[in-house]
Amino acid sequence: MVADPEPQVAPDRGPVIEVDGIVTRFGAQTVHDGVSFSVPRGSLVALIGGSGSGKSVLLREMIGLHRPSGGQVRLLGTDMWSAPQAERNAVRRRFGMMFQDGALFSSLSVAQNVAVPLHEHTRLAAATIDQLVALRLLQAGLPADAGGKMPSALSGGMRKRAAIARAIALEPEILFLDEPTSGLDPITARGFDRLVRSLVDELGITVLVVTHDLDTLLTVVDRVIVLSQGRVLADGSVAEVTAVDDRWLNEYFSVRTMLHGDRIDGS
Amino acid sequence: MTEPTWFRLHTEGGRSVLYLQGAWRLARLESIEARLQRLTLPADTGIDASALEQIDSAGAMVLLRRLDLEVDAASTLAWTGLNEGHRRIIDRVREQLAVGPPPPAPRRQSWLAGVGRRVTLLVELLTGHANQLGGTLVAMASLLLRPHRLRMRELVVQLEQTGLDAIPVVALVTALIGVVMAYLLGLQAEQYGANIFVVDGVGIGATREFAPIIVAVVVAGRSGAAFTAQLGSMRLTEEIDAIRTLGLDPWQVLVVPRVLALMLALPLLVFVGDVMSLLGAMAITGSMLDITATAFVARLQDVLDVRHVLVGLLKAPVFALVIAVIGTRMGMTVGRDTRAVGAATTSTVVQSIVAVILLDAAFAVLLQAMEI
Repeated sequence: MVADPEPQVAPDRGPVIEVDGIVTRFGAQTVHDGVSFSVPRGSLVALIGGSGSGKSVLLREMIGLHRPSGGQVRLLGTDMWSAPQAERNAVRRRFGMMFQDGALFSSLSVAQNVAVPLHEHTRLAAATIDQLVALRLLQAGLPADAGGKMPSALSGGMRKRAAIARAIALEPEILFLDEPTSGLDPITARGFDRLVRSLVDELGITVLVVTHDLDTLLTVVDRVIVLSQGRVLADGSVAEVTAVDDRWLNEYFSVRTMLHGDRIDGS
Repeated sequence: MTEPTWFRLHTEGGRSVLYLQGAWRLARLESIEARLQRLTLPADTGIDASALEQIDSAGAMVLLRRLDLEVDAASTLAWTGLNEGHRRIIDRVREQLAVGPPPPAPRRQSWLAGVGRRVTLLVELLTGHANQLGGTLVAMASLLLRPHRLRMRELVVQLEQTGLDAIPVVALVTALIGVVMAYLLGLQAEQYGANIFVVDGVGIGATREFAPIIVAVVVAGRSGAAFTAQLGSMRLTEEIDAIRTLGLDPWQVLVVPRVLALMLALPLLVFVGDVMSLLGAMAITGSMLDITATAFVARLQDVLDVRHVLVGLLKAPVFALVIAVIGTRMGMTVGRDTRAVGAATTSTVVQSIVAVILLDAAFAVLLQAMEI
């Protein structure tokens, strides 16, 4: 944060994520054929789609890990693929990413993992960093003594919380989550949903979550974007998306009705 | 550009008000903290946040901590002009700070405890190896009763990877060792006109000691490390558990083929090493000491007793057993994270090389006593 004399007083309105006409090809296979959407500040948006619909690839393109074949991605107004390197690096400090299995550095303790971005990108005193790390762990819903543990000693749910703590270490404006509730039991998963919601409501972070979890969609998400056949099939509230007539979407949402017994005695 | 001030303390008619202003964000935390250090608050101060543009949880944390230090009961301070979003962040951080500091890190152990721990670990390591050696021998013995349970396919694959594929590197290394030995011996022998004795030295030295040791070290680095890495990542992905669950015996499926393959491959590689080091020596003695190939071979036949070659070849399976047992054991007991696989692989190579050299020394003493 050295080459940054004035804090970015970002406008409170206006999209923080803009995806514009993304095209992705792997050889002859076209994964995305003009995907466009934008996400306003302070919302919790879910990106869903069947297996192979390219959700994860799109996520990697948004955060600058995989170059799309065409189209543009702008995070906080900066083009992630054509802006100068320095500008893109500056944006990298303003968003956080939680990978599916946490991607915690296995040679570092949880607290050290969370401290990595703070040591790299700030020049704060060690004592302040320790205090901030403790705050982040609490914000991620981890007990205070979790900081000294090694990632291999954590359960799946705690590993994901530790990954969140690292992702929000620099107080990002955007947080990307890849399948945050996969592999968690329903109770832990719902706790995780509440955690994500609280990050949006309390810290004002904009969250984009790639998920399969229907319960996440129905309980905490503001808006759903559905990817299908390389395009955005639907984009709106859960109610609006449910109303769209599509075979995959109908099947996806019908799982819920089956669970509630509507179809059990009929079949 | 002037440094933003972040806050202003204003006293009027005996009552102080701390006016917060600007953007209290993590990006500027360093400068905020520096300013806060110099703040002293009189008792009964009010806080006015109406000019506060932004505050994030890091900013709230340093502010609340400072207020806590300055004022006995910071929570009773009167806040005014705080907008809803900022109030949520500050309230949440205040709640989280109230949980209290994390427990202090465990105290560093004394050096004596450290030494004790290391010794215990070493003993555990060695008993573990002994256990693995026993398990391997039992599994191999049970094959004598039921030979059809030998995994032929896996054995052949392992023979190829540990034996055939190692020939180029083994040949290169041992040929160079032969060249170096002959050269150094030649320099000395030349002074006494004892050129032909170089053949004696290289012949016995290479076949009895150097070829087996060098080849075993190369194989420890190649195959021992590979065993640990393969089995370690299989353990990480729960493949070994899957093998057990399917009613198969990991000893038979994974360990025995590797151990057997290495015990077969290593003597063959040592033989390659013998030949290559003699060829290397022959090349240098021909050009440096004028010993023709014919003279070299004739002299070799006179002085190189077959027992020296046999000692070298018979040491090889023992080295192979030790390398394979260490390699497979370190792989099967690796911790369940990626770092552990790397650490175990390194450890395998170091342990194998040390074990090979210790064994070789033991062989030297033993064979000397037996006058072989």
